[in-house]
Amino acid sequence: MSIVSTGAKGQTALLMGNDAIARGALEAGVRVVAGYPGTPSSEIIQTLADVASNHGLYVEWSANEKVGLEVAAAGSFAQLRSLAVMKQVGVNVASDFLLHLSEYGTRAGLVLVTCEDPGGLSSTNEGDSRHYAKMMEFPLIEPGNFQEAKDMAAWGFELSEKVHNVVMFRSVTRMSHASGNVVLGEISPGPSKARFQFDGDMMDQMGGPVVTFPGMVDPMHRRQLEKLEMARKIFETSPFNTYTGPNQPDLLVITSSAASLYAREAIDLLHVAERVGLLKLGTTWPLPPKLLAKHLKTSEKTLIIEEGMPFLEDNIKALWTELGPEAGTKQFFGRKDGPLPPTDELNPDLVARALAEILGLPAPTADQAYMGRAAELAKTHAPFRAMTFCPGCPHRASYWLLNSALKQDNRRGFVCGDIGCYTLGVIGCGFNTLKTSHAMGSGTGLASGFGKLNRFGFDQPVMAVCGDSTFFHAAMPALVNAIHNRADMTLVLVDNSGTAMTGFQPHPGSSSDASGGELPSVDIARICEAMGAEVAIADPFEMERAEKTILDLLDKEDGVRVLILRQACALSPGKKGKRLFEMAVDENACLAEECGCNRLCTRIFGCPGLIWDPEAKKTRIDEVICVGCGVCASICPTGAISKKEVAS
Amino acid sequence: MTAPQLPIDPYNVIITGVGGQGNVLASRLMGRMLVAQDYYVTIGETFGASQRGGSVMSHLRISTRSAWSPQIPHGRAHMVIAIEPSEAFRVLAVYGNAEIQVIWNTRPIHPVSVITGQAVYPSLEEIAQGLNELSAQNWPLEATSQAQTMGNPILGNIMMVGALSAVSDLPLGSDIFEETINEMMPPAKVPINLQAFSWGRAALT
Amino acid sequence: MNEDKGNQGQAWIRNQVMAQGLCTGCAACVGLCPYQKFYRDQTAVIHECDRTWGRCSAYCPRGQVDLGGLRTILFEPRDITPELGAVKGLYMTRSTDPEIRDRAQHGGTVSTLVALTLKEGFIHKAVLAERKNNQVSESVAISDPDAVASFAGSKFSVAPTVAKFNEISQGEPSKIGVVATPCQALALARMRAYPQPGDEERMKNLALVIGLFCGWALSFRELRRLIKEKAGADRIQGMDIPPSQHKIMELHTEKGLIEIPMEEVQTCIRESCRYCYDLTCEFSDLSVGSARSPEGWAVDRGWNQVLVRTDKGQALLDLARSRGILEFKAVPPENLDRLKAASLGKKNTCMIQLEEVSGRKEDLIYTRREAILCQ
Repeated sequence: MSIVSTGAKGQTALLMGNDAIARGALEAGVRVVAGYPGTPSSEIIQTLADVASNHGLYVEWSANEKVGLEVAAAGSFAQLRSLAVMKQVGVNVASDFLLHLSEYGTRAGLVLVTCEDPGGLSSTNEGDSRHYAKMMEFPLIEPGNFQEAKDMAAWGFELSEKVHNVVMFRSVTRMSHASGNVVLGEISPGPSKARFQFDGDMMDQMGGPVVTFPGMVDPMHRRQLEKLEMARKIFETSPFNTYTGPNQPDLLVITSSAASLYAREAIDLLHVAERVGLLKLGTTWPLPPKLLAKHLKTSEKTLIIEEGMPFLEDNIKALWTELGPEAGTKQFFGRKDGPLPPTDELNPDLVARALAEILGLPAPTADQAYMGRAAELAKTHAPFRAMTFCPGCPHRASYWLLNSALKQDNRRGFVCGDIGCYTLGVIGCGFNTLKTSHAMGSGTGLASGFGKLNRFGFDQPVMAVCGDSTFFHAAMPALVNAIHNRADMTLVLVDNSGTAMTGFQPHPGSSSDASGGELPSVDIARICEAMGAEVAIADPFEMERAEKTILDLLDKEDGVRVLILRQACALSPGKKGKRLFEMAVDENACLAEECGCNRLCTRIFGCPGLIWDPEAKKTRIDEVICVGCGVCASICPTGAISKKEVAS
Repeated sequence: MTAPQLPIDPYNVIITGVGGQGNVLASRLMGRMLVAQDYYVTIGETFGASQRGGSVMSHLRISTRSAWSPQIPHGRAHMVIAIEPSEAFRVLAVYGNAEIQVIWNTRPIHPVSVITGQAVYPSLEEIAQGLNELSAQNWPLEATSQAQTMGNPILGNIMMVGALSAVSDLPLGSDIFEETINEMMPPAKVPINLQAFSWGRAALT
Repeated sequence: MNEDKGNQGQAWIRNQVMAQGLCTGCAACVGLCPYQKFYRDQTAVIHECDRTWGRCSAYCPRGQVDLGGLRTILFEPRDITPELGAVKGLYMTRSTDPEIRDRAQHGGTVSTLVALTLKEGFIHKAVLAERKNNQVSESVAISDPDAVASFAGSKFSVAPTVAKFNEISQGEPSKIGVVATPCQALALARMRAYPQPGDEERMKNLALVIGLFCGWALSFRELRRLIKEKAGADRIQGMDIPPSQHKIMELHTEKGLIEIPMEEVQTCIRESCRYCYDLTCEFSDLSVGSARSPEGWAVDRGWNQVLVRTDKGQALLDLARSRGILEFKAVPPENLDRLKAASLGKKNTCMIQLEEVSGRKEDLIYTRREAILCQ
């Protein structure tokens, strides 16, 4: 079992940031945990789900982030410390409820963990949720190292209970998916009795009904601001705001989160510890004005180093103007004011270069001759490694079919997509089939819109794809909309039996809960039928039949068709490590580059389980990579690729 | 108990490969072996989208002093473990230097650009030559083919850690490996991992 | 012009044929590789092929066709006329079997000849078009002579005839006869005259091409649009263009008969038919169409005109006569000239249209003026 659960107080463990956060929650006695998976956040809930029975927790993968936050809030209202976890885009989904939640406030501690992805390493944007804390007026904390990730996660619950409001805990990829030494604390058993009080009056936050209500807006908003003021006072003396450096530094660096690790590294690289003061903030909204005033006065130059948008930079500058003449003249540097880049993830080198520039020092350089030669060799020796569908991935087959059907249909039909592994349908591995991709469920909503444009001469067939998890998350309202408004569209549900992209978490269509226990699965096909769509189900690995089904659906006019392309993910627990077929290539039958094939399997289909041998001019199977799905045998025009069932 | 001094502090290791090669497991395994001996270890990993056939890289910072950035500064890696050979060059172009050492698995995993024919994968001779040029010392290891004979190509990652234990000053001996792998793996999987580690260690001893 | 020059493979098909609206849907490029597929009445490129040479463009009737070279290989030079290609003789025929005549659009000559060749074992399989429903035609390969008659009658949209030939010619060796429209016959002629490497054996299977006179084909989508416009949601039970006047299309719906004027039907003609020069299916062994004598339509109602172009075609027709399964009548002397004039008219229109597409005088994209005019 995970050390997150078993590690004893005082023990030093190597913990991934997300595991440290999970441990912190356990140490705080968390009882209810909910959220929706999304890189880099997913391990927190999974880790807690795995130990839920040992610690008496309720842990669920919710249908989406808004529901997840609502489930966690119910725990808080019923006097249980609760945790909601999501990635930055999920906070947007939850934000409608979050506005109401923060207006009223919470009872037992409620922490909203958002794990954000500067640089979009596994996201389609660089969303920075910290602005919600300012916009919706609740406290925000950001850990600066792995120990703090645990300690501040635990402290977040205390803070929430002190101010009676939700606390946002913001992590970033280099915190969540990085690991470091963490000294463990004691796991608290926490309360086990849940009870929801509602007999008091509307302004009785601990005992009245939990409502936001017209007529109560002003008093509630005033109360919310008082809570914020209380947080501000607590933050003035928080041990998570630390300063290291001289009393009168040449440059004051203010930083938070993983950026503080880069700042330390850069100061070390440049040997400027005597010249640079480092104010690491763990509490980033509301800002503690006295603490900041004290440090801002010590230096004429301030560099703000943060991951994401210039949130601290803007707010510290605003604070400085409020301080008036006593703060003195200042020069600010940062992402907005330079020399740090306004976009993308930071790293120690970018920070060191910025520090050197401001301090008038030469930037730390590597051996230029070596770097030049290494870059040259990388060009020839490290061929570009694009993202692609895994070997055996049903999406490759599904897009093969969608592309083939749309091309045959020959009316410039297209597919609207959204977020999931199947977003790769935008690029070559999905035969460039996806022509739009935005938020979860947005492909279906866009298709609903495109599907109403025929009165403007629009005659292209419209399809949308969404995954099974995405269907429950956000596509259902869009589908209802399309059906009700009689949009002319086909929704293709690429059902691979789990939330595959983030590590195969269950969703409402699964028959298990986060911890592996049994749950009733919600039937996607029956939902769609009940909504009023015409539903077809096909297996993308049975290519001929599936392609005909798609062509037939494209042929229909008026109204919404739903095609469920059902085949489990190659990494799903039921499939992983199991080979269905032994694949082989008959070299004599392989036409390779000849007219009649021109390397369809390697040049176009492009499964990583295939090897193109340019010397022999033949296709081979990479037996290390191939998972034996058998699809390449179906597309080979000469039958040179054969499949033999593996004896089970 | 305090950790023995390191010849270089922090000592920076990059484990690189392709999604699905057990890169993350190797870095956590090494990290735990070293934390158990009171080192500060910081690991930075990139996974998520990169699992889908992309490059996966783990940065390990090993220190007696403190935690460090989860990203190694450019040009400052000391050891590269390439579970996939061409990936070594991608790493060296950013983090390499003339003193660097490289342990590399000889089994390529062709990227899609090579499968489709848009790019050419270098020959093993070219890889060896390139690594001779870019590293102070390098060791090829036929880890995947050996792992296949043991029944699972993914064991190549453990072999690479075994090989590292033979050539580096890091205290990564068999005893601490056994102790750590026992904590990390179900008992049934321990013997095969011990065998893989020993093979890698013996290969470079 | 040389056959080998400038074959740019699929790029030609995409850029010079499909993008310019010239693709006839003959499906010559379908079934030889996985890159093109035929659906309903159109050939579509599914994936790009980057070969600079390919059988697709070698056989495409809108590839760089050496019409003169083809004629030299396939016909006797003395038979070649500028207006109709090779002509050994013009006949008027009809089946002696009233049942066959009944099913056919005109005289049932094609059905009779196909059944005969199958029965005699001259061919083992015949590739025919089948009207699958009112808007879509399919291609079938049959070997039973008695089944031939059921495929008689006019088709409104093109069938993937050459793809069907490609498919069955790659199997066990057997003699295959094809009933083809002019574009399909031209593709088959290119295959037969210049089989590409690897196709030499396969092409030995092509034993006979019976051509069909062809004015145009309708586009599946346009026709469907027109029918929907006329009949709404009513179920269509049948559809026909009565041969008498060629002035209306009849739509038989569950609620009765709808007549559509031909001018409206003609808006549904596929674009590629505008770029076709061939009325009488010049690249066949013999070709068959309706007959129209100077005395008027009624006189020849139920008769076909047959242009014999090769010895093989002649032998087949003679055999049918000797077996008494085809009835012949004297061809009025003006008929040949009328046919020539009609054919020339199509050639001229086609050349004007092609010049419009290319934007250049004398640039006919896939061929040259002299080649079209058999010079």
